[in-house]
Amino acid sequence: MMTISRRNLLKQGIAVGTALSFPSVLRAQAAASNARTVRWVQQLSLRVFDPLLTSDDTTSMHALAIYDTLFAVDLKGIPQPQMVDKWGVSDDKKTYTFELRDGLNFHDGSSVTAADCVASIRRWGQADAGGKTIMERTKDISIVDGRTFMIVLTEPSPLLISSLASPAGFFLAIMREKDASQAPTEPVTSNIGSGPFKYNEALTKPGTSWVYDRNENYVPRQEVPDGYAGGKVVNVDRVIWDNIADQQTAFAALQAGEVDFLLQPAFDLLPVLEKDPNLELEVLNKAGVSMFLRMNCLQPPFDNVKARQAILHLIDQEAVMRAAGFDPRYITPVTSIFGNNTPYTNDENTGWYKKGGDPERARQLLKEAGYSGETVVILQATDWPEASNAAQYLADTLRRIGVKVELAPSDWGGLTKRRANKGPVEDGGWSIFVSDWSDSNLGDPLKVPVLPANGEGAWFGWPKSDEYEALRAKWADVDTLEERQALARKMQRLSWDFVGTAMLGNYVVPTARRKSLTGLVSVSTVVLPMWNMRKVSG
Amino acid sequence: MTAYILRRMVSAIAVMAMVGIFVFLLIRLAPGDPAAIIAGRNASEEIIAGIREHLGLNQPLPVQFLHWLSAIFHGDFGTSIFSGRPALELLVQRLEPTLSLSLLTLTLSVTVGVCFGILAAWRAGGVVDRLLLVFSALGYSVPVFVIGYFLVYLLAFSAGWLPVQGYVPISEGIGSWFIHLILPTVTLSVPYIAFVARIARTSMLEVLTEDYMRTAAAKGASPYAMLFHHALKNAGVPILTVIGISFAYLIGGVVLTETVFNIPGIGRLVVDAISSRDYPIIQSVLILTSGLYVLINLAVDLAYTLIDPRIRY
Repeated sequence: MMTISRRNLLKQGIAVGTALSFPSVLRAQAAASNARTVRWVQQLSLRVFDPLLTSDDTTSMHALAIYDTLFAVDLKGIPQPQMVDKWGVSDDKKTYTFELRDGLNFHDGSSVTAADCVASIRRWGQADAGGKTIMERTKDISIVDGRTFMIVLTEPSPLLISSLASPAGFFLAIMREKDASQAPTEPVTSNIGSGPFKYNEALTKPGTSWVYDRNENYVPRQEVPDGYAGGKVVNVDRVIWDNIADQQTAFAALQAGEVDFLLQPAFDLLPVLEKDPNLELEVLNKAGVSMFLRMNCLQPPFDNVKARQAILHLIDQEAVMRAAGFDPRYITPVTSIFGNNTPYTNDENTGWYKKGGDPERARQLLKEAGYSGETVVILQATDWPEASNAAQYLADTLRRIGVKVELAPSDWGGLTKRRANKGPVEDGGWSIFVSDWSDSNLGDPLKVPVLPANGEGAWFGWPKSDEYEALRAKWADVDTLEERQALARKMQRLSWDFVGTAMLGNYVVPTARRKSLTGLVSVSTVVLPMWNMRKVSG
Repeated sequence: MTAYILRRMVSAIAVMAMVGIFVFLLIRLAPGDPAAIIAGRNASEEIIAGIREHLGLNQPLPVQFLHWLSAIFHGDFGTSIFSGRPALELLVQRLEPTLSLSLLTLTLSVTVGVCFGILAAWRAGGVVDRLLLVFSALGYSVPVFVIGYFLVYLLAFSAGWLPVQGYVPISEGIGSWFIHLILPTVTLSVPYIAFVARIARTSMLEVLTEDYMRTAAAKGASPYAMLFHHALKNAGVPILTVIGISFAYLIGGVVLTETVFNIPGIGRLVVDAISSRDYPIIQSVLILTSGLYVLINLAVDLAYTLIDPRIRY
């Protein structure tokens, strides 16, 4: 008979542990090769589910997966019907009628009805700047029948369809009527949409991984995918978003085949990724992101327009973007307030750009502005490396022309609190902060908060130009693209004179994927769709 | 003894209450606004104000404090501002990975660290002692993430023996669970092995020079009996103290390891919560962690009586 001694127990324990572990070693190596599951490294936490509560890109991607939209823009930014089958407008251009297509169902099995669309539009109209503009001109939104609804305007609005389709700001996700009846500040957390993916809450681990299953009942359109438009065909059973906070770990996991896709690999890892024969870099956000700085127009020295113009002359965009840490292959200068890739991008009043990186001119303008040694406080978001680096570079550049600069380091949360302070720097105010915006969205001055200049009602920085605002007010009334382009030029002429925002440059971030993952759809913002991709062997 | 335990439990509650009040005030006075974070990088002031109002963050601090206090007394630790899930539920969800990593690390550190310490003391001044001294110095001074990346490169990426990252719950197979924890455990154990080994060596050296050890040697006791029966028991109190402190530090010190190995534990939960100003999560984690610290210290104090009969409470 065998006695139970410590030594025997230890031996048996090791034997059992080894036996149990070995198949797992093999399993660990094979886990990633599940042909129907995509492991997608998001690198950011999905904190908010409701796309009308936040403009956060991760939330928008979540919403894009689980909700459907009435219209969607293609890669050229042209609105195309998505949930809508047929639509028409009356002769007086005031009444729009929309009919939903067949086969639209929510994930709980209920059909999508006109009532759901009407409630969703109303909620969107309270939250989104473009939606508010539409609502101000709306006399009535009414249900015609189960699948048809109408929007009746008080005056024609050529921008209605593009507003309904716009991916900028808060996009119009169609929710169930009972969800869409909530106030826009009250979060919708049911996560039941009618989109091509279903959110799998049971398998989701908040903060670490989020699971999306193919919606087997989704009926895609027949057209080929084109930007956010076209058929949303899902070729995989499941997509798992992993929030791998550490870039090095995410990179190693991709190389080892444990994950299939990295949304935003660090720029310093790109050369290594390029050398790996199993990996491929691909720019999916074709329009990129425009980085900019805002100056506090209410406080010295930037309450003086000449001081703000000095910043335009001081900035050498390429130098700033390189210092920020971007790969030179993926940056381009931005000279238009409408970004680089919108129908309204233009070169009006951009002579300052040719003199960019001109400290002498900047020094002269500051002198003319009466700068007398006031402290310039630059808010520095240390948890956003590129913006943090750009802030440091700007501080150094300003110091070189004799400006007294203080950096105010904090995380982004701290920055958002401080930037709301309109007071002087001595009372916790600020002078400059750096942020960015999807380039393609800069073509919508009604939605994008960096474009208005209505003083204290404007976005942080509070630039004011009544003349510019008068032009912006005409945006929704202009009929044709050509007329709007002409208006955009006039707006830009004024904008680069009063300088509400200074551009730092445009960047694109290539995604990294294993070559076995194919078919990802290119779009014009950082919000990437997950449909159409498939995993192939090899 | 019972009275002593009860007294310590009451003091644990007092400590947790003080930590709670301190944390409540600290995180609200620190810069940062959860409403602005929810609203996104480029949200308007109007939207941020609406969210702030919805969350009750525009109420005066004393009112918020009373709401929070009243909820705590009803066993409600609050709801995550972001995920909308109860803070305790999220905490429990993250407890398993952290406890798994901590317990495995503790087991490995104590086993190897004490053995190294005994070996070094037994061969004090010799080659083994010097080698262990070098290991201890290196183990304690090289940052955990450097060790982690090195091991990942060596054993996961190059050799392909182990997974690079991730965690598998124990309910999905003890083998997978263990395999995923090997690299994090070894990584996190290195400094603790070094620490325990140094303390064990010092304690053992003190005991080995005692008269009764000489007597045991004179009576012909074997090295095994001398080291493990006579010396280790008497050197145990400082070692046990270090183990207690190590465990307490481990719970709080797993953040880096959890980040490097993508383990969804308490460390990452609290770091994410701090960066997003998720007040209920931060408060819950810190209150419960402080309680755990007190309990660990209590357990260590009680364990003294087992290895040293002279200690009484």
